[in-house]
Amino acid sequence: MSSVCVMTNDSEKCDFALVGLYDVYDPEVGLNVVDLGLIYQIDFIEDQMRVHCLMTLTTQFCPMGDQITGDVTGALKTAFPDWQVEVELTFEPAWDYSKISDVGREFLGQ
Amino acid sequence: MSGPTFSGNLQQTTNYKVVLPFYVYGAISFVIACTLLLFNTDLVQLHYFTPHTLAIVHAMALGWATMIILGASHQLLPVLIEGKLDSDTIAFTTFYITAVGIPILIYGFYIFHSGWVMQLGAILINIGILFYVINVLRSSIKSSTHGVHAWYMITASLWLFTTTFFGLLLVFNFNYQLLPSSSVSYLSIHAHLGIIGWFLLLVIGVGSRLIPMFFISKYTNEKVLWIIYALINCSLIAFVIIKLIALPTYFYYLPLILAFTGIFLFVRHIIKAHAVRIRRKVDEQMKTSILSVFQLMVPVVVLLLTLIFLPMEQHTNMALIYGFSIFFGWLTAIILGMTFKTLPFIVWNREYHKRARQGKTPAPKELFNEKVYNTMLVCYLLGFVSFIVALSIKNDFVAFGATLALLLAAILYVFNVGLTVFHKAN
Repeated sequence: MSSVCVMTNDSEKCDFALVGLYDVYDPEVGLNVVDLGLIYQIDFIEDQMRVHCLMTLTTQFCPMGDQITGDVTGALKTAFPDWQVEVELTFEPAWDYSKISDVGREFLGQ
Repeated sequence: MSGPTFSGNLQQTTNYKVVLPFYVYGAISFVIACTLLLFNTDLVQLHYFTPHTLAIVHAMALGWATMIILGASHQLLPVLIEGKLDSDTIAFTTFYITAVGIPILIYGFYIFHSGWVMQLGAILINIGILFYVINVLRSSIKSSTHGVHAWYMITASLWLFTTTFFGLLLVFNFNYQLLPSSSVSYLSIHAHLGIIGWFLLLVIGVGSRLIPMFFISKYTNEKVLWIIYALINCSLIAFVIIKLIALPTYFYYLPLILAFTGIFLFVRHIIKAHAVRIRRKVDEQMKTSILSVFQLMVPVVVLLLTLIFLPMEQHTNMALIYGFSIFFGWLTAIILGMTFKTLPFIVWNREYHKRARQGKTPAPKELFNEKVYNTMLVCYLLGFVSFIVALSIKNDFVAFGATLALLLAAILYVFNVGLTVFHKAN
């Protein structure tokens, strides 16, 4: 079992970003991307006013991939309208079931 | 300040324009096949080699099952081969040529015009399928990885072409002496090339990837999938050899045991994936897919009982039950379930792909009517079981009632497919 774990260099701003990201859902699973464990890292580069989000998908062949990454970008842009938003997709490490949070597991009926 | 940027290596999905025509064509074919069956329920009392039975079988095998599976395989190819579809143009060509060829062939069977009508239909289907095989092979060659699922797909596509090409030979053999014996004596080879080589191999390849994915199950066992792959292929090759060199009946136990073991391992694979799933609630579409996995055992049991208990001259009596349980049973059930797991995603992507963060979007499952789906399922199960009874007791009246239920299921299926395909974002 695990709680939400997102690496960051600014936990205060990260919490603010997560509020928006909790509203981004994987349409098939019906669970938000944070509890699903898709968000790996959110960094804030203050001097460049830049937000960098490293995330993954449940599979590289996720048919909803474009939509989900687009929604993540949009959520971060809404949370930080004056900042430049970068979303980077990675599959290393690949997503696995251990990345789902306690709340996510409960939602899925575990 | 610049706008948002995105980087990464997201795999491209297949263009919806390639996939949707196959689904629509398949859905309409299902209604046509059930309608043909409704007007020919007397076939429950006849030999399987009659013009109308051949027409209905090909409407189900080609128009319904193959066209839907071709559509789904174009969509799922990137998932299976871990690459992208090589050419949309070739995929369109596959659709148009095959779509024209199928009704011509079916009409040829229905009126039993063994000359140019059947021949033209068979030639067009072969050209269409050849384009499909080329597309699968080219896509696979360009892919960087070649896992077990890719091999299922490649091999199944090659068996499909072998099936249609052998079918072409059988059609020409009606009028020209191309083969040593009459076409009727090769029908079981033609049928099993399609059933085992194309349908079974592809369904196992796709199912073993998709079903655990939809369960959100961590179970995977590539070694078992390779064993199943070997068992199914060896079973088919053994059957063809035994049939061609006309070995005694007891030799047929070999391919049957090989296929049964492969199917058993696949069923066990799905049960294991189901047991360790993270998503506890299983939706109706997935339940239908699980049902189809068990329905797969029906034709195997029928075949086993036939070999054990019936003398050789009575084997043809069981052929209709065997064929019906495959085309209207296993294949139809998996298509009914998987259509509404894949089609809503395709349409959802078409409608909402560029609408990120522009308001709440519906979930893919909201693109079709679930009540209609459940009613369709009840009609289908009622029709399927009743028709098996009708075939067993050779009763036209029961067959008519059963076919009405199947036709209603087909109409409800078309309704939901239409609802999904024509869905528009507000």
